[in-house]
Amino acid sequence: MVTLLPRPKPMRKLDERLGFAATGRSLLAKVFPDHWSFMMGEVALYSFVFLVLSGIYLSLFFEPSTGTVIYEGHYRPMQGQEVSAAYASAVRLSWDVRGGLLVRQAHHWAAHLFIASIVVHLCRIFLTGAFRRPRELNWTIGVTMLLLAIFNAFAGYSLPDDLLSGTGLRIFNAIALSIPLVGSWLAFLVFDGEFPGLEIIQRLYILHVLIVPAILAVLISAHLALLIRQKHTHFPGPGRRHSNVVGSRLWPAYALRSLSLLAAVFAAVLLAGGLLQINPVWVWGDFDPATITAPSVADWYILWIEGALRLFPPLEFHVFGLEVANQFWAGAVLPLLIFGGLYLWPWLDRRWSGDRETHHLTGRPRESPLRVAFASATLMFMAVLLVAGSEELLVQWTGWPVSAIRDVLRVLVFVLPVLAGLVGWWLAESLRRSDVGHTVELGRKELLAGLPRRRHAAEEGAE
Amino acid sequence: MSRPDRAPRSVVVPFLLSALAAAGFAVSYVLDLGNAALGGCLGGAFVLLALGLARWATLIDAQEPDYVEERAVGPTPTPQYDAFRQALTEQPVPRSRVLWGALGTAVAAIGGATLFPLRSMLPSMGTDPDDVLSVTPWRSGTRLVTEEGVPVRADDLEVGGMVTAFPEGLDPRHHVDTTTVLIRVPSGELRLPADRTDWVVDDVVAYSKLCTHAGCPVGLYTDTTRQLMCPCHHSIFDVTDGAQPVAGPAPHPLPQLPLGTDDEGYLVARGDFSAPVGPGWGNH
Amino acid sequence: MTDAPRTRARLLCAAAVLLAAAALALAAARGTGTVGAPSAQAATASTGSETGQQVFLRDCAWCHGTNGAGTSRAPSLTGAGEEAADFYLRTGRMPLSSPDADVRSGPPAYDDATISALVRFVGSLGNGPSLPILAAGDPVQGRKLFLENCAACHSASGTGTIVTKGEPAPELWHTGKRQVAEAVRVGPGPMPPFAEKQLDQQEVNDIVSYVHDLGAPQDKGGAGLDQYGPILEGLVALLVLLPCLLIVIRLLGKRAPAPEEDEQ
Repeated sequence: MVTLLPRPKPMRKLDERLGFAATGRSLLAKVFPDHWSFMMGEVALYSFVFLVLSGIYLSLFFEPSTGTVIYEGHYRPMQGQEVSAAYASAVRLSWDVRGGLLVRQAHHWAAHLFIASIVVHLCRIFLTGAFRRPRELNWTIGVTMLLLAIFNAFAGYSLPDDLLSGTGLRIFNAIALSIPLVGSWLAFLVFDGEFPGLEIIQRLYILHVLIVPAILAVLISAHLALLIRQKHTHFPGPGRRHSNVVGSRLWPAYALRSLSLLAAVFAAVLLAGGLLQINPVWVWGDFDPATITAPSVADWYILWIEGALRLFPPLEFHVFGLEVANQFWAGAVLPLLIFGGLYLWPWLDRRWSGDRETHHLTGRPRESPLRVAFASATLMFMAVLLVAGSEELLVQWTGWPVSAIRDVLRVLVFVLPVLAGLVGWWLAESLRRSDVGHTVELGRKELLAGLPRRRHAAEEGAE
Repeated sequence: MSRPDRAPRSVVVPFLLSALAAAGFAVSYVLDLGNAALGGCLGGAFVLLALGLARWATLIDAQEPDYVEERAVGPTPTPQYDAFRQALTEQPVPRSRVLWGALGTAVAAIGGATLFPLRSMLPSMGTDPDDVLSVTPWRSGTRLVTEEGVPVRADDLEVGGMVTAFPEGLDPRHHVDTTTVLIRVPSGELRLPADRTDWVVDDVVAYSKLCTHAGCPVGLYTDTTRQLMCPCHHSIFDVTDGAQPVAGPAPHPLPQLPLGTDDEGYLVARGDFSAPVGPGWGNH
Repeated sequence: MTDAPRTRARLLCAAAVLLAAAALALAAARGTGTVGAPSAQAATASTGSETGQQVFLRDCAWCHGTNGAGTSRAPSLTGAGEEAADFYLRTGRMPLSSPDADVRSGPPAYDDATISALVRFVGSLGNGPSLPILAAGDPVQGRKLFLENCAACHSASGTGTIVTKGEPAPELWHTGKRQVAEAVRVGPGPMPPFAEKQLDQQEVNDIVSYVHDLGAPQDKGGAGLDQYGPILEGLVALLVLLPCLLIVIRLLGKRAPAPEEDEQ
């Protein structure tokens, strides 16, 4: 065995003061299971690290103020124009600060990766049942972090006060207004009066750079602390028991692998930031509430709400003399249902599957056709909503009028998730009853065995 | 497999190349070679770092077995748990329940009291949002001007033309609810209700530009179909028919502004909009 | 890990396929809209010796009437002027193969000389506006006017988008300067016209000057993805960025061990 590091004197001096060697040794020897799907959470973690580091750099140049300034910089078409300080500083970061555009773009790509990796991580936890007892608390913390990540990304891309994101704030304001009883008060409180007001950028800024990242840091720490205390779950296999954890030691194998992933995440967002343009705010123009650009859409993690707003019919209800405005259903109720469902899932799963055991061994997705069906249906539902949010692209692709596409999507948004759920159930059931390794290896026999009719016949035949 | 006395080349080389790429980044910065060079060099440096670290981890993995660690399964044994509960709840001072309850009341009251300053986030003590949302500053006799402040005449517009207008004397940025869109419709095509036929001047009709769905400016006008479309959620309004929604999620027509002319021939409003502008809310 | 090299190869192949698919999808999605089918009359290239009137009588009169007075199939051209004629002919929108055909932009049906002759002829039919006189414009003013008046349909980046009935507001990066000026006045198809009193000639020149700067010059920071906005950016994030990291962790981590006999 090659020793990794010589025994340095400074380490000894530190130990004289802190006496950490014994704890340190047990920490270094901690065992982590090393299945590749367990690393998705780390992708999210390292995206967060990049967001904080790049965000600190951006905050040195960004001016979170709606007060107007005259832009004097390299972007000629804006020369001498009076715009908000926030917008001017964002354009300055892109055109006048050397390296600023790279950091801005990498920061935005990292936000995309952060949320996308959380979603994939959530799917892995969901499908393998890792949220079951005793990890319900960690699941709750995780769902909260997803919610905060989405909010913070929305706040972040609204900070430059450009035409595209400003329109998004208008919709956010409208959804707040639509909440029954308290809507108008809530909207006026957040925006300091009528839209757009002069305070929203400053308020989003302090939320984006301080409050939400601080909460996220605390939650991430709690998430990791729980993970260390309860130890990670692992898949069943040789030597793997409910009562142990099998894998690599933290040091050196796991740490090096994890550091490699850190470097890979940084590499990915920096290459994207260098080679792919994202959110060119100087093109969109500064926010003018009387004007708009098209397509006027949000980033994908908000776009599903936009898609729902587009598909929902022009219905309005009056309850006890109060209007329940149209945008309330798709804008507020739908996200509430989705996240409410996510929060409640461990208890719903317990109720529907009857499984109240403690689990440290995770199952393969096929072991719970119910979860596979729910995951397929929900992901398909979100996908159709994202397509609805991209109607412009479909119109240009097919040449159909937008109302035709909307009508088709209104049907698909119900039909496709149900189909996806049924197909998901069927495939999971077929896999569960057979011993094939991969879904692609399923043959006719296994697929037929997965169908409900045949299952009863097979059971009867077996007796 | 590497011999113990020589560092594996497959790890060292990527690290050294990574250092080179980082130097490339520094050079790109100094020479201002642009975003692609900066991102490519620094990104490349991290790629090579990742490769070196991955290779190193692979080499270690090849020599290490799977480690096993026992897991503490289950809750704390009862005697110890009882001891914990006892340590938590034991209280030498009598009627401790009352004491804790009183403390809780104090803390809750302080917490509740500290929420009151949040009220300061609302603009001022006397404004009811419902009142503010229900009206706009348009008054009878207010001239219509463009965003640059130039007064508008009906014949400034060609048939099929459109322009965005605001009340004279107000900063449009601070009075978004006044945003109005003027459109000249071909003669004879307007089908407004009887009480609004005098709300137009020379076939020029005025509507609120804020969509009644979620408040986005309804900026797309198609001359051939006489329709306004909102790009946010694709609500479509028929300009000749009082801006009734004909497709999409908007539930209400765009409120109409009654138009007239002053003695110099410029367009003026003859009152506020026909309905509250923008998206619906509780007390619409 | 005996199958590691094969797994790695499979993953790299999957990565390549994914990237190619994403690129194709993006290209296909933005491929339509601006280049329409060339009109059926395109084959008739002029020999240069035909006058504008001769071409008009051959190709245009059957819809617009022999003197451009209009028929039930097409409107009158007496008020169109050189301005409209130049726009419609140079952008290939006219002539149409049939009265019901979609008016789409595309390659012009005639060569330069023929178009000039036709334009002169149509201009002589009435008192319509003559060709716009272009002059240097201020792109700073132009940007302001463009965002106020044009961005809602053509997108702030000029990438174009849909209007009510699916016929797109086209992208503006390949439109000639004079055609932009003409379109603003003419208001072709679903586009509203902007009269002189609304946008004077200097303002039109400003807009023209800014539009000329749109497109590739704004591609600062990397590949612009057509500057279409968050839809394409999201596709890249979900179909390229995320899968790359999935492949990375697949290569870094291990696969699940084969289940034991006595496991459920």
